[in-house]
Amino acid sequence: MVSEYKNILFKVIHLRSIIGYNSLVFALKKTPLIGDLIPDKLYSTTFLKVIYWIFHVIVEVFKLFIGKIFGLGLIYLAAFLLSDQYIEHEMVHGVSRSTMYGNLGLFFFLIYAFCGILIRVPYFNCTTEKEYLVFMLRMDAKKLNETLIYYDLAKLFIGYVMTGVFAVITGAPFWLWLGIPVLAILVKFIGIGLQLLSFKIKDKHHKSLRINVVAYLIRLALVLLAGPFLIVFVANGYYIPMPQMAVITGLTVLAGIWGFTEFRRSGSYLHRRVLHDNIGKEEVKSTSQYDNTKSFKKIKAKGTVKGDKKGFEYLNALFVKRHWTMLCMKPVIFTVIVAAVMIFFTAEFIYGYYSRFGSDNCWNMVISNIINFFTFRGFSDALLPVDYDPAFEFFRYVAQSHLLGLLIPLSIADNSFKNTQAMFINCDNSLMTFSFFKQRDKIIKLFDIRLKQLIKINLGPVISLGLFADLILFVTGGQSYPGEYLVTIIIAFLLSVMTSVTWLALYYLFQPFTTSVIAKGGAYRITSIIIYSAAAIIVWVPMVSYILAPVLLVITAGYVFFMRNRVYKLAPKTWKIKA
Amino acid sequence: MEFVISHLVKSYGSKQVLKDVDFVFEEGKIYGLLGRNGSGKTTFFNCVNGDINYNSGSFYFRDDKDPEVKTELQPQDIGYLVSTPTVPEFMTGREFLKFFLEVHEDIKPDKTIDEYFDYMVVPEDDRDRLLKDYSHGTKNKMQMLLNIIASPKLMLLDEPLTSLDVIIAEEMKNVIRSQKQGKITIFSTHLLDVAVDLCDEIVLLHNGRLEPIDKNDLGDAAFKDKIINALRDADDGQ
Repeated sequence: MVSEYKNILFKVIHLRSIIGYNSLVFALKKTPLIGDLIPDKLYSTTFLKVIYWIFHVIVEVFKLFIGKIFGLGLIYLAAFLLSDQYIEHEMVHGVSRSTMYGNLGLFFFLIYAFCGILIRVPYFNCTTEKEYLVFMLRMDAKKLNETLIYYDLAKLFIGYVMTGVFAVITGAPFWLWLGIPVLAILVKFIGIGLQLLSFKIKDKHHKSLRINVVAYLIRLALVLLAGPFLIVFVANGYYIPMPQMAVITGLTVLAGIWGFTEFRRSGSYLHRRVLHDNIGKEEVKSTSQYDNTKSFKKIKAKGTVKGDKKGFEYLNALFVKRHWTMLCMKPVIFTVIVAAVMIFFTAEFIYGYYSRFGSDNCWNMVISNIINFFTFRGFSDALLPVDYDPAFEFFRYVAQSHLLGLLIPLSIADNSFKNTQAMFINCDNSLMTFSFFKQRDKIIKLFDIRLKQLIKINLGPVISLGLFADLILFVTGGQSYPGEYLVTIIIAFLLSVMTSVTWLALYYLFQPFTTSVIAKGGAYRITSIIIYSAAAIIVWVPMVSYILAPVLLVITAGYVFFMRNRVYKLAPKTWKIKA
Repeated sequence: MEFVISHLVKSYGSKQVLKDVDFVFEEGKIYGLLGRNGSGKTTFFNCVNGDINYNSGSFYFRDDKDPEVKTELQPQDIGYLVSTPTVPEFMTGREFLKFFLEVHEDIKPDKTIDEYFDYMVVPEDDRDRLLKDYSHGTKNKMQMLLNIIASPKLMLLDEPLTSLDVIIAEEMKNVIRSQKQGKITIFSTHLLDVAVDLCDEIVLLHNGRLEPIDKNDLGDAAFKDKIINALRDADDGQ
């Protein structure tokens, strides 16, 4: 039996090592600049494989301790420090420090184990090597799971025993040192037993055996909710007396034995089905190369384009109509949030005014200031004085001289990158196979239409952020020169145009997407990084709005012209499906 | 008109997929491009269609009467039918066809949209459904229909009959046959029977080179063995 487990374990580790090594070489070969220099021979270089295998073993050993030190190590540390405090402040009577150490250590461990990490068992996820072994090489699924579970529990036991050495040195009782590792294994079996029981029930009712992460999230939420109570409990010097603690531990042991029995009784069929229904979960997590086109496939079939739109105008109008949620939801949500924040602050201010000066004064203030706003004057406190706030000066300075900072919220609201992904996966990817789509004049025609569309989609955030800045100006004294409110909105608009044209032109000049919408291509990434870096510097440049607006207008016009020109010249060659 | 490929070379890293491809295709013929899996048929098409860069070589049209008259290949000269048809899924078949006709201002359609659908035997109840809901075969037909309307000089058909049912495959074959006049059609497949059935000429893509096969042997019983032997690598078992 042991030799069988050993054989299986050897196969798994060997396969993991091969998959890891080959994935590493593959990733290197796909890396820009250095990728072309890496020969295919690297896949079969034994020397490097051995080095990778040694590295793999070191990582395994590292993983053996790191979790334990951070988890159990912290528990022992807390128990050590608190038991000292309990004894020093005479919060407990007739209990030795060592027993208190053990009691608190056990208490924290049980909370950690049940609510947190230990009870969660990832053994039923179908990793790549499990998929190969069970579904291609026809290995017995239960034997494989059994081997991996015992291997993991052995690592857990060793890690906990070694971590426990520090506890014993700092005065923990011996039963805690050996008891916690055993209890940890039993808690794991409770998790395994519960998971298998749920699979059995689902299987009986012919339901999918997908692992439910909701239960885990609920447990995490419970831990977070229980945290404050736990702190209060401990801070007040409370503790669960030893007899009660023994009963809880005894029940845990019994439940663990049940879990183990449940695990032993489970059949190979169930394990195979579970693995089958959870294929790709780990793969997805580790590589993120899952099919992320699904979110782009939610196309609404409703409606059509009315009016006299033809050709590319017609194509674009249809595209927007059938992808409205995907394209516009983010900017709309952003606009609503900004509007809600403005309304909240305004309402809060009015309410404060009302509480202090009464309804008549408040009403007069509101009316006079609505008039003031529309006549481009500042906020009036003529009726009754409002407290001077030094923060006003700062916000006014920002709203007048740091409007380039609007690039930050505008970039957050901007959905152009996702828009280009949707354009590629649901439209261009297919039309690129037709020759007309690659003709220079047609490319630029569609580019112009799309640029206008992206600018339109971003109008909500532009106006809301512009008004937000205007509101700050208004409250802090009104506009300094005629038309400042309008200029602020124009600046937001121009920045948004720059953002839109950047993403769209980058898409046309580098076409980075694969058919699974993953952005690849070194040049695209490097250019994006350069643009981001430049933007990160630009947002800090102070410039008063009446100078910024004309400067920005010229720069934006030049930038759009330049990008459009690049697209016109280069896109027939660059805008294509990645082979 | 002839389509000339001159010294085309394409490599992926150290692997040379196309080695000095040199060939002349003639107007009005369907060429069966036959090759094993992974022999580079799709790479060849992608090079011609400009979807991927190639290392060296050139292609152009040549006047068959005056070989000195050469014309550069333009995107609109090529119709490319890929094996896995991709269509803009957010449009209905009718909307797609309407859009296609509108952007091709130079084309004067001789049929109404429904007549085009009838020609390609696209079922009536499919015409106003989103393309994403079309079957593989109907998507293929749509792709073919658009290429027929655009009427390019060079048609590249990359295994268009793969995974089609017998009825649709037969309908497609008839359409391809009826469209061959006035253009050069290159039809790639790894199925020998399909190539023999449909094509006027057979060209082998083997070891990165195009090799013509004598068309007079098409009906010959030994022809199949001859092609299999030609495609077999030296390290393949006999």
